[in-house]
Amino acid sequence: MTDQVPSETIGYVVGGELKSSLYARLTVPSQEVQEGAFVVMENRDWVYYGLVTNLALGSTNPRFADEQSEQRYPEYLAKQLYGLTLFTNIEILPTLMMDRGPDLEDPAYPEWLESHPPGSVNPIPVKTIPPHHTWVRMANAGDIAEIFGSEDSPGFYRVGYTREQGLPVCINLDKFVQRSSGIFGSTGTGKSFLTRIILAGLMKYDHASVLVFDMHNEYGVDDIASDTHQRVPGLRSKFPVKVRLVGLGARTDIRGQTPDFSLEIDEKDIKPEDIELLTRELNLKETTPTTLEALQQSFGIDWFNEFKKMENGKTEEDENGKKIPSPDSTEGWALKNGVNVAATAGLRAKMQRVFNLPYIVPNPAQNGLNQIIQALEAGQHVVLSFGEYERDLDYLLVTNLITRKIRERWAETTNKYRGHGEKEPRPLVVVVEEAHKLLNREMANQTSFSTIAREMRKYYVTLLIVDQRPSQIYDEVMSQLGTRISGKLEDDADLSAVLAGVAGKDTLRGMLAHLQPKEEVLLLGWGVPMPIPIRSRRYDDSFWQELLGKKDGKAKSMDELTRSIGL
Amino acid sequence: MNPIEIGRLMRASATGFVVGCRLSQLDTPSLGALVRVPLEPDYQIYGIITDIRVEDDGLVRQLVTSSDLSPEVIADNRINRNMPVEISVLAVGYDRAGKVFHLLPPRPALSLDSIYLCSPEEFIRFTGENRFGYFRHILHAQDIAISEVLAAHLQQGTSFHNVSGENTWLESAARELITLLRDDYPTLMMVMSALADLEMVPSGRSA
Repeated sequence: MTDQVPSETIGYVVGGELKSSLYARLTVPSQEVQEGAFVVMENRDWVYYGLVTNLALGSTNPRFADEQSEQRYPEYLAKQLYGLTLFTNIEILPTLMMDRGPDLEDPAYPEWLESHPPGSVNPIPVKTIPPHHTWVRMANAGDIAEIFGSEDSPGFYRVGYTREQGLPVCINLDKFVQRSSGIFGSTGTGKSFLTRIILAGLMKYDHASVLVFDMHNEYGVDDIASDTHQRVPGLRSKFPVKVRLVGLGARTDIRGQTPDFSLEIDEKDIKPEDIELLTRELNLKETTPTTLEALQQSFGIDWFNEFKKMENGKTEEDENGKKIPSPDSTEGWALKNGVNVAATAGLRAKMQRVFNLPYIVPNPAQNGLNQIIQALEAGQHVVLSFGEYERDLDYLLVTNLITRKIRERWAETTNKYRGHGEKEPRPLVVVVEEAHKLLNREMANQTSFSTIAREMRKYYVTLLIVDQRPSQIYDEVMSQLGTRISGKLEDDADLSAVLAGVAGKDTLRGMLAHLQPKEEVLLLGWGVPMPIPIRSRRYDDSFWQELLGKKDGKAKSMDELTRSIGL
Repeated sequence: MNPIEIGRLMRASATGFVVGCRLSQLDTPSLGALVRVPLEPDYQIYGIITDIRVEDDGLVRQLVTSSDLSPEVIADNRINRNMPVEISVLAVGYDRAGKVFHLLPPRPALSLDSIYLCSPEEFIRFTGENRFGYFRHILHAQDIAISEVLAAHLQQGTSFHNVSGENTWLESAARELITLLRDDYPTLMMVMSALADLEMVPSGRSA
């Protein structure tokens, strides 16, 4: 321990190990430090960064803790006794370390500087630990900026503040869109607001196009908060040129606003795998894939329309007056093509719900699907509002179909870029709410989403999963998530899922469970240098004022926005 | 101010010595007081009084059984008695070449060396600058009333240090004692209890 105690010191290291935690004795009252505090330990050439994961009361002898010395001794003695025999130890999860070199006055400094030119020294994961009695202090604004970046740097976007000191914490948006990400939290923890904040950042800084599957019509147009009853601006209201609002089905009205265009799905775009995906929703049998395969063999891309036209149980009389299935009946087709009659008729009956969907039409007036893809390729963002079609059936079918198209398109353009030097694809972030419906263990391998989560990073497409039950999402998908932002979770399985694959997950677990129900989230994963709990930004007028740089909080003029996207 | 002699050395060891004095001299030394034994011009031993013993003799045994003792007889016994009062002193340090050490003296004092009570300045010189290394000699001593000796010593020291303007000496001393004794709960509680009974508290505080 050095002779001089640095200011801001909160304690000193008394033990611990690299694999789990370091222990430090607090020299300040226990209430001044909270779980999740970002602390710094400096010892000679190295500086170590860590998180407080636990606080424990201790005593040199249990009897000192048992007896209330305040009542037995004069104040000066009781205070001394309290301070010297009763103490608080903190557990610190060491995360990063950085070589800061000798002091400027040290003769060894020039030599060190020569071997470590400015810009070459970055924090690295901890590989050793500070020695005993290393002073521990709370991180200051400089430390936070050193680790999480500064808002002044391009690509860094403020998502919240440290809980104790209120210092700004940024995420690197370039890194954020490089891999799939997840926003998790129990219901009512502010997932939607946080998602809006992240999306606003992505849209403002134009690092990627964003496609939002807005199942509950809450991102595109203005909304009213369910708890505060305040007006919540929609993304399209704030970015009227950058954001295209798309409504599912013709004549869709999104909370009284007309979408930029409607999405009607051509029957020809529906493939057997889109129906197989609905196995649980439609209660389909094991024979379904065989029947669908036969339908496609028989009718090609018109299979959906042809199957829709078939009737169950329709008969006609043969020359002997005997009733036989008519050729345009389900049974007639099945007999002719050697497919199980009962299975085909059963499938036809169950698919009636799909045939009834009004947004699936034979020849749509406009190709909404292509318009969505073109808008995304042109650097715009698309919010697809499901309008009145909020059932799981609609969500599963439409999201998977669009994502499949997008995957094909982005893979194609990426291959052209790599093979023929054509234009580089624009990164795309697909935002999926209620992700466990699409990415659960049963369905993950059937949907395009799991492919995107696993492989599409190299094709410039990543997911932003928003969900309240991360444990229901397939492990393989969860393991691919780069940045995870989680609000309070209570279920043990959900806690484990969010922390899967993260170093020090056992120690972070308590931190995650102890987050405030609102506005507190834990940032972790590959996309952030180290896990840190933060108080998230508030999605209010001042947020928009700061983001858009306008005091009145209103959107920029059309001219300004047009110029800002380079048109 | 002339130094106050409290007696002469009767016997000594590396860890302490016993001073003999007349009963009439006993109004000066007190439990916990800091004393010194000058041995050479630049070497003197410091000690703390840990016990004061008044032994009996044959005459006293006879007198205590007398039914009627006149004041003259009592005074005569006290002034002219042959048995000295024995003052036990625990060696707690020494001063050599103008530097104070809280270590046991390299060699003990010799018979009939004079022992003097430390003046307030000498007390402050030995106990000042937040140096409390000599406490370990008291805490490790056998057969002494540790808590009482410490309390008496701190009471005396506080008055001296307060006069000199060092008002935090008692707090510092208490902190040192707690640090040294926090693994010895029974002893610490005895010491704390004794300190709680002190008449004085650090300036600006209330008991």
